[in-house]
Amino acid sequence: MTAETINPRTPRAVRGLPSLRAGAQYGVLWATLALFTVLAVTTPGFATTDNLRNLLDQQATVLIVAAPLTLAVIAGVFDVSASAVYVLAPLAAIQVQNQTGSIPLAVLVALTCGVLCGAVNATFVVLLRVNSFIATLATSYVFFGVGYLVSDQAILTPGDAAFRDLATKQILGVTSATWLAALVVGITWFLLTRSRMGRYVYATGANPDAARLSGIRTGGIVAATLVLVGTSAGFAGLVNASQGMSAQATDDFGFVFTVIAAVVVGGTSIAGGSGAVWRTVVGAVFIAMIGNGLNLNQIDPIYQRIILGVVILLAVALDATARRRLTN
Amino acid sequence: MTTPVPFLRLTDVHKSFGAVHALRGVDITVEAGTIHALVGENGAGKSTLGKVMAGLHRPDRGTVQVQGRTVDLQSPRDALGHGITIVAQELALVEPRSVLENVYLGSEPHRGPVVRTRLLRRWFAELTERTGIAVPPDACVQDLSIADQQKVEILRALARGAEAIVMDEPTARLASHEAEGLVTILRQLAASGTTIVYVSHFLDEVLQVADRVTVLRDGQLVSTSPADDHTADSLVEAMVGRSLASAFPAKQLPASAAPLLEVENLGRDGVFAGIDLEVRPGEVVVITGLVGAGRSEVLQCIVGDRRADHGTVRLCGATKRFRHPRAAVDAGIAYVPESRKTHGLLLETSVNGNVSLPQLKKLTRGLSISRARERELVAAAITRVGVKAANPALPVSTLSGGNQQKVLFAKALSGDPVLLVADEPTRGVDVQAKRQIYDVLVDLASRGLGVLVVSSEMEEVLGLAHRVVVMRTGRVAGQLAGPDITEANIAALAFDRPAGGSPSNDAGGTS
Repeated sequence: MTAETINPRTPRAVRGLPSLRAGAQYGVLWATLALFTVLAVTTPGFATTDNLRNLLDQQATVLIVAAPLTLAVIAGVFDVSASAVYVLAPLAAIQVQNQTGSIPLAVLVALTCGVLCGAVNATFVVLLRVNSFIATLATSYVFFGVGYLVSDQAILTPGDAAFRDLATKQILGVTSATWLAALVVGITWFLLTRSRMGRYVYATGANPDAARLSGIRTGGIVAATLVLVGTSAGFAGLVNASQGMSAQATDDFGFVFTVIAAVVVGGTSIAGGSGAVWRTVVGAVFIAMIGNGLNLNQIDPIYQRIILGVVILLAVALDATARRRLTN
Repeated sequence: MTTPVPFLRLTDVHKSFGAVHALRGVDITVEAGTIHALVGENGAGKSTLGKVMAGLHRPDRGTVQVQGRTVDLQSPRDALGHGITIVAQELALVEPRSVLENVYLGSEPHRGPVVRTRLLRRWFAELTERTGIAVPPDACVQDLSIADQQKVEILRALARGAEAIVMDEPTARLASHEAEGLVTILRQLAASGTTIVYVSHFLDEVLQVADRVTVLRDGQLVSTSPADDHTADSLVEAMVGRSLASAFPAKQLPASAAPLLEVENLGRDGVFAGIDLEVRPGEVVVITGLVGAGRSEVLQCIVGDRRADHGTVRLCGATKRFRHPRAAVDAGIAYVPESRKTHGLLLETSVNGNVSLPQLKKLTRGLSISRARERELVAAAITRVGVKAANPALPVSTLSGGNQQKVLFAKALSGDPVLLVADEPTRGVDVQAKRQIYDVLVDLASRGLGVLVVSSEMEEVLGLAHRVVVMRTGRVAGQLAGPDITEANIAALAFDRPAGGSPSNDAGGTS
């Protein structure tokens, strides 16, 4: 078309933007690196291989759920039932393992349990259009309840000692749990940044109408992310049971809030449409390092809670301010 | 009825929205206690003028005087302070709450934190008696008809001491007997001293209700005169007639081939009915008519975003029943929605990401998207429509409005469609970008695509269309082709006036 009608506004508005963007975009990364440096210098015992290995190992279950939850949040939905699935799936798995003696079958049961729970959530959120927070809060109680039924309110322990190897086998210096977390992070990172589904996830969260009119089946995308979260929550529960060689029914929502904290501190917007898996990894590490640093400095766990809460608030508020400045 | 000082006087008022000059030096005087109508075609500036009076828009230039004093209406609140308020087309009520609560929302009498409900009821009874507007005070607003909801808005305006009410297209969503009821109410209000500014494109109604009529065209004043001096035909004549501001590419006659798109008796309950139209390869068909006639909804049914309740859609001879836009995209229909911000683009996503979005299936190799192929496809698509993006990896929000609109076209065309469906394709873009979009549309048609456009801009309709479908209140009022496509004929169909009188010739320069 007529090439002489170049709009002079475009290049000028854009010039100088990348560096500014980089500052705000990677804020959480700089903060994490700074925290690492500070802890390494001030806290004896922090920057040791053993401590860092432990830190990763402890974060494995959180990361296994937080990475897929990042996809769901970007697509515009929440899932607080991850805790319940995390409790329920290993109970079912251990029961099956103890009756059949098969560990692979136990893994399969845990994953299937996660898929089913995710599918139940998706049914209510996508087909019946229940707000995702409310729907998954309600299904949580159902899943918790089923957990008590499956375990008959007993503490279950796997009969086969090899069950422990699932999460605790040392491979190239780190635990298999760490490797499994890395695998899940890798898969979700690939899905989000390289695959068609990833693009559709962003589009669905950013502007569902535009996405639908572009021919994206937005309901299917939301359902897929919820099933993914359910499956990984079941898997994470199994890893956790393997680490502790036991599983017990509870109604404890604590786990999912740690997971959500990692996603949010990383900078994925709960409004949907923007975020990244690497952000969630950084967020999880940031939170873990704070806990670890406070422990090593022998701060009373009561104060640790307060400090953690304040730090999360500060991180998110700073992030929000920086982004607002960027868009103005 | 005339008072020495007019209630409202606007002098040399200008207002621009980006590149669109909506008001160009309008002078208008509204006498107290009269009903003053503003009429004009879509985009003539009548709504904008009404919103300036009510403080919703601040004029770029010019003065506003209320009862002889010059004022600066910075907000609707300011305007209300001077006794002016607006009842907008989209009603602003708290729907799940009662009529009483809505009428006095924000101005409840109270003793400490406790609302004095009994006093409120007495006030409400007095208000309804004084005005003769009857609405049950305890009814829930969402259970009321649109007409009754409108009464609630009027009551609320009066309860806050409004002396002048701007009514923006008040009858657009009302049934005819409801519209008559509204006219009666407005007459009573005017008789008791309230000033009414009545924005409408229903001419018979305007003549019935108004004391004076101001005609606007292209943001300029045509005339202000007593309603008795006008007939509906004389109003249409005053509204019509202009020169074509931007040149259009020459129309090329389409080859007479079998129709690409055939729509038969299409209907959606309560919105439109009995729509017949067809688009041949190489043909540009424009659906026009007044805003609210159901034009956009027809397009939405054709592209599978809404379900039609009746009728059939055939594409290339085969009957199609699209249940999701995906199916329409796959069948070769490209859709450019009316609002690029809310329905078209992902503003914070890159140009690349937007344009390739409907085509990712084709770009996927194995599990991952081929970035090289994506860049290739996007580059070809944006060159075709003339997008000037410094870097297609930057977010769409960094582009000008015109370029954003072209990105929307590039996205629609990236899949090599057979039919392009576009809703108001040049909304909110400047003249240059408009011409480029026209070039794209004509170029596509010359390559054998069918092009179906909804447009409210008369010059666009005249300049682009091989055939015009005029809609009125959910039905096809008539179709025009070739030399019959004139502004007078279109306006006659759109406003339901038989064509005739003196034809306006200065609109016919469509080569």
